[in-house]
Amino acid sequence: MKKVLGGNDAVSQAVSVCDVEVISAYPITPQTSIIEKIADLIYAKQINAQFIKVESEHSAMAACIGASIAGSRTFTATSSQGLLLMHEVLHWASGARLPIVLANANRAIAPGWNIWAEATDSLSQRDTGWVQLYAANSQEVYDFIIMAFAVAERALFPVMVCLDGFLLTHTKEPVEILEHETVKQLLPKIKRDTLDPANPKAYGALAFPKDYYIIKKGQHLDMLKVLDIFDNVSLEFEKITNRHYNPVEVYPKPDSQYSIVALGTLSQTARLAVDNLRKDDIDVNLVKINMLRPFPQQLLKQLLSDKKLIVVFDRDISHGKSGIVKDEIAGGLDLCNVVGFVGGLGGDKITESTIANAFLDAKNAQIKGLFL
Amino acid sequence: MKISKDEIALPNNLACPGCGASLAMRLALKALGRNTVLVIPACCWTIINGPVGKNYAGVPVFHTAFETTAAVASGIKASFKMQGKDSINVVGWAGDGGTFDIGLQALSGAAERNDDIIYVCYDNEAYMNTGIQRSSATPYFAQTTTTPEGKDRPKKDLMAILAAHYVPYIASVSLAYPQDFTKKFEKAKSIRGFKFIHIFVPCPPGQKFLEDKTIEVAKLAVETGVFPLYEIIDGKYVLSKKPKFTDITEYLKLQGRYKNLTQENIEFLRQSIQKKWEYLNKRFNE
Repeated sequence: MKKVLGGNDAVSQAVSVCDVEVISAYPITPQTSIIEKIADLIYAKQINAQFIKVESEHSAMAACIGASIAGSRTFTATSSQGLLLMHEVLHWASGARLPIVLANANRAIAPGWNIWAEATDSLSQRDTGWVQLYAANSQEVYDFIIMAFAVAERALFPVMVCLDGFLLTHTKEPVEILEHETVKQLLPKIKRDTLDPANPKAYGALAFPKDYYIIKKGQHLDMLKVLDIFDNVSLEFEKITNRHYNPVEVYPKPDSQYSIVALGTLSQTARLAVDNLRKDDIDVNLVKINMLRPFPQQLLKQLLSDKKLIVVFDRDISHGKSGIVKDEIAGGLDLCNVVGFVGGLGGDKITESTIANAFLDAKNAQIKGLFL
Repeated sequence: MKISKDEIALPNNLACPGCGASLAMRLALKALGRNTVLVIPACCWTIINGPVGKNYAGVPVFHTAFETTAAVASGIKASFKMQGKDSINVVGWAGDGGTFDIGLQALSGAAERNDDIIYVCYDNEAYMNTGIQRSSATPYFAQTTTTPEGKDRPKKDLMAILAAHYVPYIASVSLAYPQDFTKKFEKAKSIRGFKFIHIFVPCPPGQKFLEDKTIEVAKLAVETGVFPLYEIIDGKYVLSKKPKFTDITEYLKLQGRYKNLTQENIEFLRQSIQKKWEYLNKRFNE
């Protein structure tokens, strides 16, 4: 069945078919309508869950941590300053191996105050040990939220699904939605180690250097396995939906001389730029990143290592260095032929012609970026 | 009031000799029973409970970030409710730093929501785990490593702050009065909604007294009127133990943290106690 949904509605609708037991959240633009809709659905008895209306995002994540270690499927949503306030407890959730799912409406970071799209908020959380998925349209938002629960519970890692503020959170488009019973097949209740008075254990106790190192090494190695877990979930998801997702997608085909790389809604704009460039016989494709953590290194290497030039577009920035995705690509793949452009910060306009022109500048005039 | 013979907290934990916080856990768990889970933030009990593989509390413990005790406990309770395990006591167990200071916001949130948890603050009146720095629970004139001249502000009245949240149960308890201590924990266990228990815990290395004086310090804190024992039940203040009002010097002279007090300081403290009791007596008589 198809429904016309904005990105935020797609999140709430997806949560409503995932048997989430505990939700805890705090309002922030442009995420707020996610939790308002969830409150409505709980009130209408379409979601059977406890909703803890906390006094901050820090407590929202802390309450999710509590609910998750006690054995419940948990969800929260936030954005920008809220995600940054959670930073400490994001590490706690992943270190405690809790399968929490979080939707982040990507929004710029103050000062100055700005509520519009930018991905620096979630990209600056890439080292918190969370799986990160970036959606580019409402269908992906809906599908990624459902897949996120499956990945989280099989991998025992929290998963963050990111959607650009307003560009995606508040833009409506038709979305194929799923029946509760269908989603159940993908999300069986998996038994895991949770608080139980019959088994009095301590969780997260003092770890001396040797133990700590073993724990953290294990966390990293397990995180790498998420790539396979994602593929398995994706295959199962395809069986029930006919829609398939890879950690990285390529458009229109892998074979090309040049590549443009982007994530989130910026990849949709870049796709139009690729279409236009190809019309002018420029042999360029789009590499769209769906998953940034764990870093799909092998897949990206296969797609990018033979290119003459790779141009990465970022709606985010690491001050004093470059766009964050550019840094990930160049550093993560040990490539020297990567040029990065930063644009669209704080919701600033960025069009397919901006992208195409910047690409041509890089290709023809050896312009090295940084700002569009 | 019978105190359970069941020793839930295990011996040989990592506490300092004479630790009041260790005794507090032993007594509290005797009243709470084994159907309990604890949330412990950064505090002395992070260490006392032992490293990976150990759990001296004897009931499940979730170690959590400093300021998150109440919010994590709320999340655990919500989950247990969904799973039909509502009978499990969910207890936040935090020091004064984690309660009066960094955890106050989350505590206020959980209290305002009236979440069905028991929040226990074991208060040794400074950041003892990091080596004796002032907290907002440190009393007037007490010396700490960050107040070498003695603290220049009074102890925050946390009981009053909690009372302003209109929660069903708030109580103060002392290790020197184990019957009263037990009775209040059992009462907290029987009430639905948010419960707060404030324990004054003497700390030999932090408050600077000999390790065999823990109970004496606890007892004198009550007898001098420094630490009043009372309950606030649905907003009604109930006195648990009228002090003898032993002169405060008896309490101060045991503790090195007060060694530099002048006669003027001591007189100031006498008057503060008097004022505190005038304030409380008005409420006890309401």
